[in-house]
Amino acid sequence: MSVGTEPRAVTWADVNRDVERTVGMPGNTYFAWMCLVALTLAAGVVAWTYQIYTGMGAAGKRTPQMWAMYITTFVFWIGIGHAGTLISAVLYLFRAKWRTSIYRGAEAMTVFAVMTAGLFPLIHAGRMWFAYWLTPYPNQRYLWPNFKSPLVWDVFAISTYLTISVVFFLVGLVPDIAALRDRSTGIKKKVYTVMAMGWEGSDTQWKHYRRGYGLLAALATPLVLSVHSVVSFDFAMALVPGWHSTLFAPFFVDGAIFSGFAMVLVLIIPMRYYFNWYPYITDKHLDAMAKLTLVTSLVLTYFYACEVFTAWYSGDHFERASVFAKATKQYAWAYWTMYFCNSVVPLILFWKKARTNVVILYVVSILVLIGMWFERFNIIVPGLGHDFYPYTWGTYVPTVTDSTIIVGSFAWFFILFLGFIRVMPSLSIVEVKEVLPHPLKHAAHGAHHGGGH
Amino acid sequence: MSGIDRRSFFRIVAASGAATAAAGCGPTAEKLYPYVSPPENIVPGVAVHFATVCRECSTGCGVLAKNRDGRVIKLEGNPDHPVNAGGLCIRGHAALQGLYHPDRYRGALVDGKFAPWESAEKIVGDKLAALVRGKQGGKIAVVTGLETGSLARLLDEWVKALGARPRVAYEPLGLEAIRAANRASFGRDAIPEYAIEEAGYLVSFGADFLETWLSPVGHSAAFAKMHALSAGKAGTFVHVEPRLSMTAANADQWLRNAPGTEAPLALAMLKVIVDEGLVAPGADARALGGAVQGIDVAAIATQSGVPADTIKRVAHDLAASKTGLVLGGGAAVSGSNATDMLQAVNLLNVALGAVGKRVRFGGDTARAGTYADMLALTQAMAKGEIEVLILGDVNPVYTMPPKSGFAEALAKVPMVVSLANRPNESSAKAHVVLPALHWLESWGDHVAAPGVVGLMQPAMGPVEIGGKPVDGRATGGIFLSIGRQALGLSAEPGKGGLQTPTFAEYVKAEWTATARDAAKGKPFAEFWEEALRRGGIWREAAAAAVALRPDALRVKPEAARLEGDGTHALLVVPSARFYDGRSADRAWLQEAPDTMTQVAWDAWAEIPTETAKRLGVTRGDLVTLTSPHGRVELPAYPVETLHPGAVAVAMGQGHAYPGPYAQARGLNTGANPVTLLGASPEAASGALPYLAVKVAVAKGAGRRALAVPQATFDQDHREIAQHIGLGAARELELRGKPPEHASHPSMYPPVKYPDQRWGMTVDLDRCTGCQACVVACVTENNVPVVGREQVAYGRDQHWLRLERWEEGPPARPENIFLPMFCQHCGVAPCEPVCPVYAAYHTRDGLNGQVYNRCVGTRYCGNNCPYHVRRFNWFYYQWPSPLDLQLNPDVTVRQLGIMEKCTMCVQRIIEGKDRARDAGRRPKDGEIRTACQQTCPTQAITFGDLKDEKSEVAKLSRSARGYHVLEELGTRPAVTYLKKVVRDGAAKPAAGGHKA
Repeated sequence: MSVGTEPRAVTWADVNRDVERTVGMPGNTYFAWMCLVALTLAAGVVAWTYQIYTGMGAAGKRTPQMWAMYITTFVFWIGIGHAGTLISAVLYLFRAKWRTSIYRGAEAMTVFAVMTAGLFPLIHAGRMWFAYWLTPYPNQRYLWPNFKSPLVWDVFAISTYLTISVVFFLVGLVPDIAALRDRSTGIKKKVYTVMAMGWEGSDTQWKHYRRGYGLLAALATPLVLSVHSVVSFDFAMALVPGWHSTLFAPFFVDGAIFSGFAMVLVLIIPMRYYFNWYPYITDKHLDAMAKLTLVTSLVLTYFYACEVFTAWYSGDHFERASVFAKATKQYAWAYWTMYFCNSVVPLILFWKKARTNVVILYVVSILVLIGMWFERFNIIVPGLGHDFYPYTWGTYVPTVTDSTIIVGSFAWFFILFLGFIRVMPSLSIVEVKEVLPHPLKHAAHGAHHGGGH
Repeated sequence: MSGIDRRSFFRIVAASGAATAAAGCGPTAEKLYPYVSPPENIVPGVAVHFATVCRECSTGCGVLAKNRDGRVIKLEGNPDHPVNAGGLCIRGHAALQGLYHPDRYRGALVDGKFAPWESAEKIVGDKLAALVRGKQGGKIAVVTGLETGSLARLLDEWVKALGARPRVAYEPLGLEAIRAANRASFGRDAIPEYAIEEAGYLVSFGADFLETWLSPVGHSAAFAKMHALSAGKAGTFVHVEPRLSMTAANADQWLRNAPGTEAPLALAMLKVIVDEGLVAPGADARALGGAVQGIDVAAIATQSGVPADTIKRVAHDLAASKTGLVLGGGAAVSGSNATDMLQAVNLLNVALGAVGKRVRFGGDTARAGTYADMLALTQAMAKGEIEVLILGDVNPVYTMPPKSGFAEALAKVPMVVSLANRPNESSAKAHVVLPALHWLESWGDHVAAPGVVGLMQPAMGPVEIGGKPVDGRATGGIFLSIGRQALGLSAEPGKGGLQTPTFAEYVKAEWTATARDAAKGKPFAEFWEEALRRGGIWREAAAAAVALRPDALRVKPEAARLEGDGTHALLVVPSARFYDGRSADRAWLQEAPDTMTQVAWDAWAEIPTETAKRLGVTRGDLVTLTSPHGRVELPAYPVETLHPGAVAVAMGQGHAYPGPYAQARGLNTGANPVTLLGASPEAASGALPYLAVKVAVAKGAGRRALAVPQATFDQDHREIAQHIGLGAARELELRGKPPEHASHPSMYPPVKYPDQRWGMTVDLDRCTGCQACVVACVTENNVPVVGREQVAYGRDQHWLRLERWEEGPPARPENIFLPMFCQHCGVAPCEPVCPVYAAYHTRDGLNGQVYNRCVGTRYCGNNCPYHVRRFNWFYYQWPSPLDLQLNPDVTVRQLGIMEKCTMCVQRIIEGKDRARDAGRRPKDGEIRTACQQTCPTQAITFGDLKDEKSEVAKLSRSARGYHVLEELGTRPAVTYLKKVVRDGAAKPAAGGHKA
């Protein structure tokens, strides 16, 4: 990437200074946001405590919707977690230079999204205090989990993904943390020293670092496909009409990337504004992101069409009735919200001006996130609500408890993210510098441009 | 280490460990005393069965009470008893909730305050003595339910000795009209025995004989014998009623008539029979011809809304079958013309030659009083002629119409004594409550039919509440005691009469007399023990020959007159769950949905869809019904099948139980339709007419959503409940091969069952929808009551649910009842998805569920296509002493785990253990599930599918067999047998209706 066309040409020194600036003492706006998010999180914790105490009946689940908003939100957050790895690993391997300025944020988003998603199996379990039984651990009774169960596959898929993402994230941070370490004092310095793992920036270190980073990227890449495929097996392996489909793995992966990009846009657009990172995150970045969003939206629309077509073409009464019920019965509003948000709204991104217009892009991203949440909702809640057995067909009604827990999960994500941007470099100093002109080779550009922020 | 070997070491460790453990125990350990001298018959952990008689209604079915460690945990029908032959109805099972009712009186009450028994009894005794001394015995009145046998004799003796007013035996569903009609027709004041099983063609005018009428369990069994396809034969059943009741839903043809037109219809049928010359030989065709002179079939067809050709065809087939039987009765026909109507039924039976064959008069047994007797007593009370009123197990404040003035008259009685053991509307107004023991705690006997005398024995001691047994006495014992106090007598053994010290001795003395003709030379002790063991004695009663009285031929072909200028006839129908309302304080019954509407809890008004549309109300919207006598507001339940000129409300709800449990549990919901009725009895019989008023139907304010667990009655072409034409079924039975069940390829090797594969069959042709299995399952398996809101929200915990499915036009559907429970699939979708093997396949073919292992992911619940898995959404409670009923063989499930039907695995284990102890394999039919055991029609069969010769294996190979949702390849262990419908009978009978 070249920044030559940007209004302000930045130098290596600018990068260091602009990033360090974000790590300092935050302002009142930040604290106000933090308070709001923390209070919401507290409400979520209270709601969860109440649910553990009273029983799952506190959430609106019932027969036939034994799963509802928790699994919806679980899949949603797993999906969000996908774009990060895609941007940091896959685009790294493809040497897509525009990734440099957004990947750190995206990677943090991945880690936090998976951490959020990981809460839901616990929240969802009737006896969460025994959830550890899903892991294979040596025990006196020689009891193993059931390796035939997709839920056990989930445990492996998600824990693997979380491990790799965290390692990849921390490794990527090392040189940047070292830069912060060198300029900080006190307790901060001690923490950064530990995290920098003795980074000195020597040639040998760089050599090993590059090789290791590349390998980790290669290791993380298949996970982009595998994790959400495995999560989709929770549904595809089941018998429920509308779930039992070979389409689910690619369908889920595409949807995950789609929602992940939308979430990245939702996060970086305000970051660019507050941190005044216009030189680093330019309209070109937004444009590239928007294009990917558009492509994934089109693919998703194709999958939607496939789903309906398969139901019709199969001649299977249960499948047909399920699709028909989703589109016309009590949850029709959710179904059409999903189509509108995921298939119709992103079409505006065909228009170049929309791709670079921050407001349009932001609104589109938010709608995509809503649409993707409803996509999972539509699979689970109306899907179960009109399955094989007409006697038990029914409507799920959310309660205060489960809604508060869902909102609380967003607060959990944002509290992590807000914390991150104030203590860690949320823009990769090293990688941004890589795409900037080298100061020694281009000494003429050495002049400081301090204005504008 | 010399001197101490391994064994001694363990002994010392064990002893010191026990000492430490004992020392560490808090005060709770004090209760852990072993029996110093164990009570007779009680071995810890081993159940004992006591034979006794169910007294939940006046039928008197034999029951076996299963006693485990001193408390009754389950009731089962006594297989030897001639009335019910092992079956037991839904209310019979729920008797345990009366026994362990948390609101049970702990002891005697005086003016609402607890009083020592002796002093409470003395208050009554003194008052009675004063009246007797003053020769004012006539100011003493006794009202009981229908009592027979020793207690009836004791009560009559008591009344005579004290010179009290004749006792009123009041049964709200008292069948007075049947006796009045028989009096008029045959000169017999009796209820005959109807041999339904011998009928080939059965026509019922309003008699809900599968629900509450006479002997529903016995009738159900007889109906299955007569009606279910067996050896190529199947009888026909036609039911006449304005409403599609459960009994009507079991009919091959349901004739929907205008309310109250049964009498003309019956006479029209008689006319057809006479005209076609089909009167049975031996009946006086000429006399019968005289009786139907002037009957115009066409006019009656118009009046009743039943087409003339249908009347003709039914009458023709009925007579031509040569084995016809006509039943009449029930609340549906208890109008102003009830006696006439039933006389017409008698004429029909005479014309069919059924009287003496399928309608058998024996000795007169139970003599219930009439509603008119109650009215007379009420007037006497109002005039201040009654000083002491003793109420047995009756609740007239609730069951009598308010216009009768009973409640006001009751207030004028200086001393009201109630013997109720749980608070109800009447006992709440009593000055003295002397709670009688529950029938499961008492001695007694009951004459169910001529020659059939059930013997009652206490199946347990009085229930302990809060560590103290309730302080009560047997009803007979209370009368003996207060009678002695009134007469100044003392208890002296051997003197007999009121001087018999206890009621148990009184019963035994009565039986000593019985033994003289029945014991056939056996010593009394042996006879007595045998009777106790068997549950009573039953002998063939000699049938009495009856002849039609000549003046009984004049039967007016008039429809019932309805009072008021409302738009809809009000049908007050008895409830199969609550009877006349006496069972409404049992949460099990509230939670078991009504079969036809599938409404659990609350009461509702069934209104025709046309009316609902006109008023703009949907299910759950409140409607008001206003009669000349009262007004009730109830949630509407629009019904497509109901006669457009009628609304129906079931009896039994709208209580004002004063007990704290009843109030907290929500047992006081709904409204009592009896409040809409007038007070005047039917002239000829003295019965309270339940079809008596017209009501105005109006939209009320607001809504009260009904708890209906069944989302739709439409199967949406899923073939869950299947049926087959009679012709085709016969063909299949003769020549058909067992159907080939769908086979799906599997990646897993087939499961091997080394010993047994347990399985079940359910014959939908036999299932009448009575719901007995539902509550039997609840009792056996500690299924909690979750309450109205949770049922409404799809969180009912029933392991077995009784579904009703409709086929065909909504106004005239073919109804199929389908008990649905875990199908114990061979390839079970629930098993592979469980991450922790909580759901797993046992080696004998059950889908096991390990409660302790369950984490509660609920994946199995989603993946079960039948949705029979139940999740513990909350901690469910059994308020004391309801917890005493819990079956110790079945785990009480914790919050957050999944549960479901286990095919009564505890019974399977018990059976296998028994067989192993005897060194053999379990015999076919030895192990019976709770649902199977109680089924009056034996629709459910359980056994080993691997044993080719077992009943269940044979039935599962039936040509009518199918698996629900077979195409999914789940290979269920439960095979359903298609319901057999009569070819052509399902044709709409057109409900003519004049606006």
